[in-house]
Amino acid sequence: MASAHSRMKCGEFRTTYEQDTTIFPTPLARRVAIVSVIFLLIAPSFLNPYFLNLGIQIGYFAIAALGLNIVVGFTGQISLGHAVFFGFGAFASAWLNNTTGLPVFFCIPLAGMMTMAVGLIVGIPAGRIKGLYLAIATLASQFILEDFFSRADWFTGGAYGAMANPFSLFGFEFDNDQRYFYVVLFYLVITFLFGTNLLRSRDGRAFIAVRDHYLSAEIMGINLTKYRILSFGIASFYAGVGGALFGHYLGFVSAEGFTIILSIQFLGMVIIGGLGSVMGTLLGTAFMVLLPELMEAGVGLVGHNAPGLTQALAYIKEMSIGLAIILFLIFEPDGLAHRWKMIKAYWKLYPFSY
Amino acid sequence: MRRSIMLGSLLVASLAFAGSTFAADKIPVGHLAAYTGPTSGVGIPFGTGIDDALAYINKTGGIDGKQINFKTVDYSYNAPRAVATYKKWMSGLKPVAIQGWGTADTEALVKFVTKDKVTYISASYSGHLTDPTGISPRTKVPAPYNFFYGPSYSDACRGLVQWAADDWAAKGNSGKPKFIHMGDNHPYPNAPKAACAAYAKELGFEVLPSIVYSLKPADAKAQCLSLKDSGANYAYLANTSGSNISLLKSCGTVGVKTQFLTNIWGWDENSIKATGDAGDGIVWVVGAATWKDKVPGMKTVRAISKMSDPSGKKPRMLHYIRGVCGTFFMKEAMIKAEAMGGITGENIKKGFEQMRDFVPAGLEGVCLPSTWTAKDHRGTTLVNVYTSKYNGGDFQMNKLATIKVPRRMEWLGW
Repeated sequence: MASAHSRMKCGEFRTTYEQDTTIFPTPLARRVAIVSVIFLLIAPSFLNPYFLNLGIQIGYFAIAALGLNIVVGFTGQISLGHAVFFGFGAFASAWLNNTTGLPVFFCIPLAGMMTMAVGLIVGIPAGRIKGLYLAIATLASQFILEDFFSRADWFTGGAYGAMANPFSLFGFEFDNDQRYFYVVLFYLVITFLFGTNLLRSRDGRAFIAVRDHYLSAEIMGINLTKYRILSFGIASFYAGVGGALFGHYLGFVSAEGFTIILSIQFLGMVIIGGLGSVMGTLLGTAFMVLLPELMEAGVGLVGHNAPGLTQALAYIKEMSIGLAIILFLIFEPDGLAHRWKMIKAYWKLYPFSY
Repeated sequence: MRRSIMLGSLLVASLAFAGSTFAADKIPVGHLAAYTGPTSGVGIPFGTGIDDALAYINKTGGIDGKQINFKTVDYSYNAPRAVATYKKWMSGLKPVAIQGWGTADTEALVKFVTKDKVTYISASYSGHLTDPTGISPRTKVPAPYNFFYGPSYSDACRGLVQWAADDWAAKGNSGKPKFIHMGDNHPYPNAPKAACAAYAKELGFEVLPSIVYSLKPADAKAQCLSLKDSGANYAYLANTSGSNISLLKSCGTVGVKTQFLTNIWGWDENSIKATGDAGDGIVWVVGAATWKDKVPGMKTVRAISKMSDPSGKKPRMLHYIRGVCGTFFMKEAMIKAEAMGGITGENIKKGFEQMRDFVPAGLEGVCLPSTWTAKDHRGTTLVNVYTSKYNGGDFQMNKLATIKVPRRMEWLGW
């Protein structure tokens, strides 16, 4: 078996189910993933705080976006209230840490569990309704929780917001970007591995069956209600963990931040990245986080210290973000994950692409 | 394929370049503006005021000959983007002072600017930016590097309540006047709610349960009917101008007779024009001189205005002039810092804390005299109370009173 990969092969052949359901499709993909994680582990030593900050943003948003992709991309449901679960996780972690004094390290997964509990309740309508009706039902959770954030003084600090302490582990504080980068990377790797693994399990296959044809799935013996609600629960867990990481990074959680706009942005990340693709979630999040920064850099290059021009360019910047999204939906509706596959296929077949 | 690789590397290169711009012998200053996003209505005039003032300072010789290298970034009222911009600046521009904007992002940055010793001048006048040492039991995080120009939201509301009490007595009324807080259930409208209600009670008002109306402009006749039923004499509108316009129009239709009071971001020239007669008689807080005022300092303001409007004909809004004041206080603090041995964030902070009833040179009569100390960052507790009249388009803004809100120790950070 060890010699199988060393011999020259003219393709990837899978002869067993085990081979067909590995986490990484090819040995090369596995090696690339391991090398990228090692690269990211040494990255804080040479990247400046600005790039680390972008990396951290991509990290916590990607964790939450993966949750949404499980609901939307894998189970075929819709959620317009993902931002409030993200916010709930941020408030829950800060609240746990501030009231019980539990180290932040433990508060983050606990906040994920609390958010999951809320998500399971909110997911109940999903067991009965579909499509547009479900979209409106999830919209309700957006409004209810947003209002809860600004009213529940004991939990969120109300109008004043909540202070979140820096991430600490046995007295060691991860209070700067270099250190926090590792925290986010740790959670990112764990949650993405868990996500990929989930999708090759019995439950993951059930999600996909529910998405592809709910009637067939039910006839095959899949409990639709159970799996629909479960996917909302898992999505909320991811959102909660992402939100908790966000809260402890910013150090301050304000009820103003978790509006429906953010919910839509999460949907944007998932759609641009590719519905039903774990890898695509990461790509889509990176795209949404980096695009405004690239536009900003463009504005900086053209309009230097000219107040009038900078202001006009600010509008151009915002508009081009919208334009980029529209162009994406027209020319690459399957998302970045699909584009990535095309690029890989191109090189694999090079120079005989036909 | 090749083209996309080239494009990609070009983008990465430009990003790296943008992250590393710096200039020697210049004073680096960051400006976080809200030219887009939900608060752009007031963010544009305020931010333009700051940009023009900085450009004017550079044109007229800078700070003792040193030019200010300022960078304006529109963060669209998005707190995480503000934090990202701050980090980007700290690795390239390394600002000694920042002109900031909203409540959420300013408070998110408090810890960072304290650690990095960057003086931060915000457009958020939130009460909890006023306690630099954390002696107040209400303070969660001391904000030693935060400053803002004008009365805090809580003090401004206290000033209005004080005016209402005086007004009630002057009109010869007897009995307990009724006071009501109206606003959306959001951090900004809620900020002065408790502090203001407590003071209203102290002054002998009956405080009614508050009425919620949306921050997004919408029909508010239902809220106006509740207001009418409540029998309130004075209603404090805690939302920003757009939603106040729609509320006042709705209340005009319903025939509400309540005296409306509103906050510093709740009323301006645009709202007077948009509301028409329905807005007549509203009482609100103005933080500096108005464009038509004949005070000596307006000459400078008009010269500053020409930086982005060479014709000099464009009337500037109240928010613009407050932006100019905030920037000029920073300029004066920088001059003091230079005298102390160098323009660093730490010295600018000390420069601010040396000011006693201070008005920036050239802006006499425009900016309120302000005092900051190492223990109290309430720049001023003077509240200018104005009222407006539409006059069929040729509107007037008249000053009713200047209320001096007491500077009580227990109100610090509240």
